[in-house]
Amino acid sequence: MAQSSALPAEQYNYDIVRKFTIMAMVWAVIGMSVGVYIASELAWPFLNFDIPALTFGRLRPVHTTLVIFGFGGSALFATSYYVVQRTCQARLAFPWLAEFTFWGWTGGVALGALTYVSGITQGREYAEFEWPLDIAITLVWVCYFLVYVETIRRRSQPHIYVANWFYLAFILAVALLHIFNNLAVPFSLTQSYSLFSGVQDAMTQWWYGHNAVGFFLTAAFLGMMYYFVPKQAGRPVYSYRLSIIHFWALIFLYMWAGGHHLHWTSLPDWVSTLAATFSVILLMPSWGGMINGIMTLSGAWDKLRSDPIMLFLITSLSFYGMSTFEGPLMSLKSVNALSHYTDWTIGHVHSGALGWVALVSFGSFYHLFPRLYDAKLHSQTLIYVHFWLATIGIVLYITSMWVAGIGQGLMLRSFDDYGNLAYTFIETVEFMHTPYVWRALGGAFFVAGVLVMAYNLVMTVRASRREQAALEAKLAAKLAKA
Amino acid sequence: MSDNTPNAQQKSGAVQTTGHAWDGDLQEYNNPLPRWWLWCFYGTVAFSVLYWFIYPSWPVGQTWLKGFHTVSYTTVDKAGQEQEREHRWNTRALLLGDLGDAARDPQRKAMLAKVEAASYDQIVKDPKMMEFVRSVGKGLFGDNCAACHGRGGQGVVGMYPNLTDDDWLWGGSMDKIHETLVQGRNGFMPAFGQVLKPDQLDDVAEYVLTLSNEAQPGEASERGKAIFHGQTGGCYYCHGADAKGVPSQGAANLTDKIWAIADVPTQKTLQDKKAVLKTFIASGVNNTRVMPAWKGRLKDDDIKLLAVYVHQLGGAK
Repeated sequence: MAQSSALPAEQYNYDIVRKFTIMAMVWAVIGMSVGVYIASELAWPFLNFDIPALTFGRLRPVHTTLVIFGFGGSALFATSYYVVQRTCQARLAFPWLAEFTFWGWTGGVALGALTYVSGITQGREYAEFEWPLDIAITLVWVCYFLVYVETIRRRSQPHIYVANWFYLAFILAVALLHIFNNLAVPFSLTQSYSLFSGVQDAMTQWWYGHNAVGFFLTAAFLGMMYYFVPKQAGRPVYSYRLSIIHFWALIFLYMWAGGHHLHWTSLPDWVSTLAATFSVILLMPSWGGMINGIMTLSGAWDKLRSDPIMLFLITSLSFYGMSTFEGPLMSLKSVNALSHYTDWTIGHVHSGALGWVALVSFGSFYHLFPRLYDAKLHSQTLIYVHFWLATIGIVLYITSMWVAGIGQGLMLRSFDDYGNLAYTFIETVEFMHTPYVWRALGGAFFVAGVLVMAYNLVMTVRASRREQAALEAKLAAKLAKA
Repeated sequence: MSDNTPNAQQKSGAVQTTGHAWDGDLQEYNNPLPRWWLWCFYGTVAFSVLYWFIYPSWPVGQTWLKGFHTVSYTTVDKAGQEQEREHRWNTRALLLGDLGDAARDPQRKAMLAKVEAASYDQIVKDPKMMEFVRSVGKGLFGDNCAACHGRGGQGVVGMYPNLTDDDWLWGGSMDKIHETLVQGRNGFMPAFGQVLKPDQLDDVAEYVLTLSNEAQPGEASERGKAIFHGQTGGCYYCHGADAKGVPSQGAANLTDKIWAIADVPTQKTLQDKKAVLKTFIASGVNNTRVMPAWKGRLKDDDIKLLAVYVHQLGGAK
């Protein structure tokens, strides 16, 4: 086997990676707890307490922003800064810019959450930031791009590793999406009007929304997968050729599919058709990543029995495969007629967000922490506990949302003998109460798992600090003797 | 995976890595694309190309490929004339087809005509027509009225009237309910907080409670009675000398233990009952109990059906 000499850890900038991993965990705890709270509000509406800042409408963007941009974004910053250094064997370029991306991103997410709570929002899903924050985020993103590209340019490796293609595609695409979807005319410091109107506005928004999922939550996390799965397994990636083909297919196809979020609306029929068909064609390129990840373990399946981190990574790929199958299915117009505007959509999103994005990040973090802090993980058992809490939580979440969504969809389209609707809307809401309770419970399981993880990581860092202090004391004593 | 040839190759060492290594031991095998994966990918492309020929798809210049699939449907114009149409598949044609089918549904059409022509008395006496009223009314009521009055019409004490008891602020006959639906209602009662002194308010509240046997008559209630029926309070102007209410003014019957606004029934002690009543008499009702007018928002036929539906919810007069 060919080996490249790995640089010793001191050569790399781990400080910025540590900062982002810690913030990712902080955002995970806050953002997911908010999620459980708003899920409970849907089951027990009294939890609104008639306080505007606590209502579902205000807290929902807080939840999505903290988990996608706070947790997901910080996890991507952390892992991409780690991966690009290690696979390029180069120290991170422009350390002060990297530092700025940390404070800028963290501040942006925090300010965003505060503005939503006070009712300041653009009202665009996953792009609720008002224009001053949009500009600030653009600035942070340009710095991210510069740091990343310059580090790749300074690489001491002839070839660019596949994980970096995905991270780079993510950085470029998100810049494009963010800028065009947020084109707006400012009206005051906290208000603006979109540059687009009517169906064009809706199309722009869902071109953004869909590709935020495609590039932020899929491509970028595939980059994470391409480094941490083979590293943790200690085996080569299954197929270089598959990685090239599925990378380009994924990048090319994702951009066309956004229209499937607007089936059966004033969207032109031909746009709907193209969106649906490109979503179907997208299935196999999406699965390419899953195959490459899971088959990397081919011949070493026993690791699933002995290595809980591997369990996280492989399970995340299975959920990735499942939700990328469900997506094209739901993008078909006839299926969408049933699923659209129901909780099936919410379940689908969470099978991707919890099952894929969160699990692959947790697995990668468990791999990262001992290396960042030069210490052994505090407890292997707690990783198993976390794994089962998370898995039970996801299964409860997804199945209850299938019941709620498909059930409501069927109720809304059933007629009596006279051709009148058999159920009123409020009856469908009453029906969903029970699944809503189960969903909140599923979310609580998932958050419990995250808390276990946070405890495990805190203990790991503490032990590392203690060891280091002891080592330094020894060294000092030796020096004093000499 | 079904295609395990590459695995066999891996084991025999036939599959090479690409020869690059990153970060120590990070490498890539050069396995070919899984055969099943490739064929499935081609399959989805073929499916999509076929789909583009059937349904509207690619934009071309100022127009777009319309697809070969067609929908034929029948619409009914305002004069009731049926018209056969055929279009290349599009969602608008599907909707018009559905609407036409619904309008032409013979059973529904027949029942609608029958209900439209019938008087309220005839509808109530005909079980078949009532079945139809309940079928249509459930949806109409659930989607338009239930937001305030509750799904079963039970209302919310202090906020929205209960439609299932036999107490009607504005009259419970079919015609009166119809009138309420068409023009809406705006409940009003003057505030007595400035007019009466606190102890007078106390006395009036005590008296009103005796009307429905919530309190025993006594000295205080006698004083309240004088205020109620005299010029000081003048309550009898609206509520009537017998305190049984005047529906033409929307004034409540105070003798029947049914409370629309002041939440008397859930109070445990007489003191608390008096307190809620007193607060209410002091503040009155002004633009806080408004029922919107539904004329123009619902079709006339639908309002008629709703009137019957509300009437049969219970407590009809």
